[in-house]
Amino acid sequence: MTKTKMDHEKQGRVHPRVADLKNQFVKGQLDRREFLRTTTLLGLSAAAAYTFADTFDVELPSLISSAEAATPKKGGILRCGMQVQDMSDPAVYDWVEKSNVTRQMCEYLTITGPDNVTRPMLAEKWVPSDDLKTWTFHIRKGVMFGNGDELTADDVVVNIKRWLDPNVGSSMVGMLNTMLDEVDGKDKDGKAIKVKRMIEGSVEKVDDHTVRIHLKSPDLSIPEKMYHYPAAILHRSFAEKGANITKTPDLGTGPYTLTEYRVGEIAILKRRGGGFKYWGDDPLLDEIHYIDTGQDAAAGLAALASGQVDAIYTLDLTLLGAAQNMPGVTVHEVTTAQTGCMRIQGERAPYNDIRVRQAMQLAADNEQMLKTAHQGRGQVAENHHVCACQPDYAPLPKIARNVGKAKQLLADAGHGGGLNITCNVGNTNGQWETDQVVVLKQNLAEAGINLNVNVMPAAQYWDVWDKADFSLTVWTHRPLGTMLLGVAYRTGVPWNEAKYSSKEFDDLLTQAESTVDIDKRHKIMAKVEKRLQDDAIMIQPYFRSVMNATSDKVKGIGVHPTNYHQWNKVWIDS
Amino acid sequence: MLIMISKRIGFMILTMLVVSMLLFMLLEFSPGNVATKVLGPYSSEEARQLWLERHGYFEPLWWRYGTWLGNFVSGEFGDSVRFRVPVSEVLWPRLWNTAILGFWTFAIMIPLSLILGVLAGMREGSRLDRVISVGSIITTSVPEFASTVLLSAIFVFGLKWLPGTSSMTSGFDVKQMILPVMVLIIYDFGYVARMTRASMAEVMTTHYIRTAVLKGLPYKQVILKHALRNALIAPFTVIMLQINWLLSGVIVVEFFFAYKGFGALLLEASLNQDIFVIEACAMVAVFVAVASQTIADIGYTYLNPRIRFS
Amino acid sequence: MSNIVETVTPAPTLGFAFIRAIKSFALLRESTPGMVGAGLVLFWVIVAILAPLIAPFDPLATLQPMAKPGTEFVKGGTFWLGTDHLGRDILSRIIFGSQTVLFYAPLATVFAYTLGILMGLAAGYHLGWWDIVLSRISDIILSFPVLVLYIIIIATIGSSGINIIIAITFASAPGIMRIVRGLVLDLRNREYVAAAQTRGESSLYIMLVEILPNARGPLIVDACLRLGYVIITIGVLGFLGLGLPPPDPDWGGMINETRKMAMIFPHMTIFPCIAISSLILGFNLLADGLREVSLRD
Repeated sequence: MTKTKMDHEKQGRVHPRVADLKNQFVKGQLDRREFLRTTTLLGLSAAAAYTFADTFDVELPSLISSAEAATPKKGGILRCGMQVQDMSDPAVYDWVEKSNVTRQMCEYLTITGPDNVTRPMLAEKWVPSDDLKTWTFHIRKGVMFGNGDELTADDVVVNIKRWLDPNVGSSMVGMLNTMLDEVDGKDKDGKAIKVKRMIEGSVEKVDDHTVRIHLKSPDLSIPEKMYHYPAAILHRSFAEKGANITKTPDLGTGPYTLTEYRVGEIAILKRRGGGFKYWGDDPLLDEIHYIDTGQDAAAGLAALASGQVDAIYTLDLTLLGAAQNMPGVTVHEVTTAQTGCMRIQGERAPYNDIRVRQAMQLAADNEQMLKTAHQGRGQVAENHHVCACQPDYAPLPKIARNVGKAKQLLADAGHGGGLNITCNVGNTNGQWETDQVVVLKQNLAEAGINLNVNVMPAAQYWDVWDKADFSLTVWTHRPLGTMLLGVAYRTGVPWNEAKYSSKEFDDLLTQAESTVDIDKRHKIMAKVEKRLQDDAIMIQPYFRSVMNATSDKVKGIGVHPTNYHQWNKVWIDS
Repeated sequence: MLIMISKRIGFMILTMLVVSMLLFMLLEFSPGNVATKVLGPYSSEEARQLWLERHGYFEPLWWRYGTWLGNFVSGEFGDSVRFRVPVSEVLWPRLWNTAILGFWTFAIMIPLSLILGVLAGMREGSRLDRVISVGSIITTSVPEFASTVLLSAIFVFGLKWLPGTSSMTSGFDVKQMILPVMVLIIYDFGYVARMTRASMAEVMTTHYIRTAVLKGLPYKQVILKHALRNALIAPFTVIMLQINWLLSGVIVVEFFFAYKGFGALLLEASLNQDIFVIEACAMVAVFVAVASQTIADIGYTYLNPRIRFS
Repeated sequence: MSNIVETVTPAPTLGFAFIRAIKSFALLRESTPGMVGAGLVLFWVIVAILAPLIAPFDPLATLQPMAKPGTEFVKGGTFWLGTDHLGRDILSRIIFGSQTVLFYAPLATVFAYTLGILMGLAAGYHLGWWDIVLSRISDIILSFPVLVLYIIIIATIGSSGINIIIAITFASAPGIMRIVRGLVLDLRNREYVAAAQTRGESSLYIMLVEILPNARGPLIVDACLRLGYVIITIGVLGFLGLGLPPPDPDWGGMINETRKMAMIFPHMTIFPCIAISSLILGFNLLADGLREVSLRD
């Protein structure tokens, strides 16, 4: 496979920026990871990029430790403890668990590995135009759907159009913002408003195996966005057949099919039969069973301890010590951009006074929150939701905690006599969320703010997550900072829970998304981050590590920063 | 007897009506939005409104209630918004699982508590009586949630003898039943034992037992032939009422051990405001409560001929 | 049940009835379990009252996470029962947690009793329509599993101290009403009630001054048992994540927060478990002792 890719590289056109990047890399202006990431995005195959980089850096990133490098065995069943949620249309997925079940049946145009490098998948190659506004995807030939049809450009076009269809309601709308235009529309009461609709002709079938998309403005992260979890490529007839993947598991190209599925109980995936030929290397596992061990994290670990499951979806922080002490269990950890963001809606009192929000930020002790609520596992953050582990992060001057200044700001805002506020928290990911708010409560108390902690059942939290003034929402990891900012803080996007609206921020972000030059991009990102920080719309204390735990007999498994299950190479050593 | 049963059935129907109406009203005022639960937290407001309209949520409350009632009477319980299948498809398997759990709990708890109760009541004030009485008060004082934590700390993580969850995903497994059954028994046997003891103690003081002892009949024979029959009438009623208790009692246990039963279903449905599931579960609960009470009364009459129902 | 009702001459005033109630508690010393129970309850009441004086640390302060029991704190003092995952002293949290539980549980019980007694008096004294309507309502509520009722109410109206009290009042009052009604039916034909009626006293006076004080015996026993159940209920709600809001210490919530760590740090969970169980045991033993003593009368 490596050989053919290299050949493509020789024949195909290489983006002019690649040569510059190579130069920067050699001069040491670009670190290795950034080089790999950017060059692969620009269409240089991962193998080629690695080859180049390795001339200077012999250490290859290996996902599988040498101890595990024994000959993989084919066959066997992997049982994973994970919530089996209600799922139907991958385009509207809102939870990674759903996509993990689907990931075994359906595939994406690209695939981003645990090292944040994006590689070809259903698209064997992509070529951006020099201005990064036109992207041509070459669809792999000979890829079969479970129903026997071959994957063609038509399928890809139908999928992209569906993501951007307002009636579908996919979160890809925020991701592919540069394919949308604002047009006149009507809201449900018939009032004229601006609505976003896909620009006519922005996705185009060139030939049976080539798809081209046209963007309003340049966007470097298109290949990574194609691996965002709602972007699974489905058969063109998916919508007609009811848009429910659990009823039509044969409409995906993945190596497994769903044979049993009960919400809250179990999802069983088996290797596709009936003469189905998978386009890639056959996966090693015969079956993957997702077993719902309930919402209780301890029950999941207990199931692992007693051998009822071989892996758990995620290891709750409270169980880390227990898991480390369990014989036959391995804990995997990875630093991510996942975070519990306590965002503030600046529309209603008392938050409509920016001094109140600034005082909250100054009184908050981000370091203590990380240390106490998350056992120090993660990285301290700076209230702008871009993580140092993301390549586009630009360091900002540190702002020290300053309770005195916070008090002063509160007094200026007319809250010198104290302020009473409430923070909602749903523990949708774990107990650490409440713990974080509890530590914040102590921090704010020092500045004379009384914070009430409103803990609600996880299911109820999702009723208020984008409505409450002040609440803690868990955000998942994204390989690039701009990707997250685009879905969470751009004016009017559906997940903008802080109801943040800043023309300056939107423009800067769009600029960052279209800048290839690393130095220039970092300079823009510094402005983007500063804008968010200055507007004080969140207390975002730290980025957390994520962990999972598996039985020792599961080989070739790790933890992906987004908890994605890429298990084609996983095997069981019984 | 027939009159009593038909009265009871009438009462049951009345209760079901009132409870279902109250639940409908209560859920009407709830802060949550069903559409959010169905379509997910990130769905658009537009899509939610459309869903609500399509599923008749903009009809007046009485109309929706009437429709639901009509369907319910004809055996159609509605669809679960969470599981997206008819309620009966979820409810009956879950109820069956709880029935299995309840069966094992009762199969062990009833003989255990009756024996302990009779032993204690036989000689009131004896050392054995004191030990059993105080012991049963102590076990009843440990809440179920405390014993689930303590028992799983010991048997799952300490001794590693038993599995920590009881989700039964790969078929029925006796080992997975042990901890849930154990917790339920520990919490409840004390109550039944104490009732049996009180009943036994009362019987032992009655005239005919004393006469029998004075007549010189062997003590064993007095107990087995005369005392026991009368002493077990009251506990019978208590045991029937434990069926009703079990419907609440299983919630904590099923939640903790991820056992797919009625209690866990009801808890999840309440947290997700899955209205038709809540309604159906509530109807089952009322039915079980009234039915077990009725059986208790009938049995009481049968066992105790001195009581006649007018 | 009726044989436990006091048959002595009527108590002329509420104050006198109160003295008699104290006297019946004094009889407790004849019952060992009753004394142990009273001791346990008294112990926790004293702990709750003296909490600010005896707690070694601030129950909310983050000091040193996950310290084992007996660890010395660098700034002085000892974590006798260790600290929890957020580094808060468990002993101090248990001590302050007794305030929470001994505030909400009796308060909820008092509300439930007020409503239940009023309903029971009205139904038992007036009979007729009052009785039919009130009895049917309580039959309906009682035919529903209690915990199910709590969960549906709390999950629907949200979780807070007040809502827990509302839910407990709503679910417990019918049971109390049934007991009171039975007692009133027995007492309403007594001479002193007839005498008061002849004197022309109002129904409310007769119910509250003539009848209620004489029905106190069984009610006190029931109240002790019920307090135990209410404590369990608050604990269960905390355990299911529907309890009192953090960070104020609440025993059920403490167990819920730390139970996942029970296998490595058992001290975090076991001590709150012991605390809550001992208080419930106290009320149960007290109820048992009081029943024993009243039967002996």
